[in-house]
Amino acid sequence: MELEGSVALITGGAKGLGLAIATYLHERGAKVVVADLDAEALAALPENMDGRVLDVTRLDDAKAAVKEIIDRHGRIDVLVNNAGVIYSEPMVNIMNPSGMMHDYSRFRKSVTVNLDSVFIMSSAVVEQMVMRRTKGVIVNISSISACGNEGQTAYSAAKAGVNAMTVTWSKELGMMGIRCNAVSPGFIDTISTRNALKDSIVKHIVSNTPLRRLGRAEEVAQAVASVINNDFMNGVVLNINGGLSL
Amino acid sequence: MNQRLASVLADVFELRPDQVVPDLTKDNVGSWDSLKQMDLVLSLEREYGITLEFSDIIKMNSVANIIEVLTSKGVGLGT
Repeated sequence: MELEGSVALITGGAKGLGLAIATYLHERGAKVVVADLDAEALAALPENMDGRVLDVTRLDDAKAAVKEIIDRHGRIDVLVNNAGVIYSEPMVNIMNPSGMMHDYSRFRKSVTVNLDSVFIMSSAVVEQMVMRRTKGVIVNISSISACGNEGQTAYSAAKAGVNAMTVTWSKELGMMGIRCNAVSPGFIDTISTRNALKDSIVKHIVSNTPLRRLGRAEEVAQAVASVINNDFMNGVVLNINGGLSL
Repeated sequence: MNQRLASVLADVFELRPDQVVPDLTKDNVGSWDSLKQMDLVLSLEREYGITLEFSDIIKMNSVANIIEVLTSKGVGLGT
């Protein structure tokens, strides 16, 4: 699919990695619609990006937003499911005997934000694609955590689920001309990564990465553009991690 | 039944030619699920060079209704 003139909806696109993806696609001629919870960040988007406040964990809100976007732009060609929140909590914390085990409500919350949201947004967009008989591309932003990251039970489970849904949808929706792929970043040099990880851990990650550095947000955005562009790419989980997972 | 249509139905639902009869419906063909429905739609579009609307797709739940939809699209289905 050509980026030029396509209508791309990017969730969680008002800042960080999502904003890098939105900017990259916009610079290549896509009409970019950003859906995000953060109204303040949305207000700071460039004028020619269409921003709207949306909680991607609410199906009815998602359906209404998708309808509004289609009413305004005619269609949605590309959905980038980027919204999500990194969450770390060990399964067992022996330093906290009164609440030693991973909190279940926080597990559910993380899975809702990182997995259910992908289902909800994809459901809302694919419904419109099928009803209108239009082709399209779904790009799910996964994570190297999908392979299992210690201290990230919920986040890892959610991202592994995202990968599984990606492959399932690629098989199920492919015949309708709807492709589905995932881009799975490793450790990217963003503010959220720096906030989430101690310097010593970042150094450890870098020394274990064959390319000996963190990734750049623009490199993830490039990968997203590639899977949109390539019309024969379907069901792929594309690792962008400098070889860390090898 | 029109042989061309029967051939499409046999391919999509993996039926022997003698199993393709006019009274087939979604309820009496075990393999007729939602994925096969999309397969059917795309096969018919390819075979007859037509485009089916969403309303056509949900209507096509029996051979009789498929014939009705195809006829409405100007497809000739004489034997």
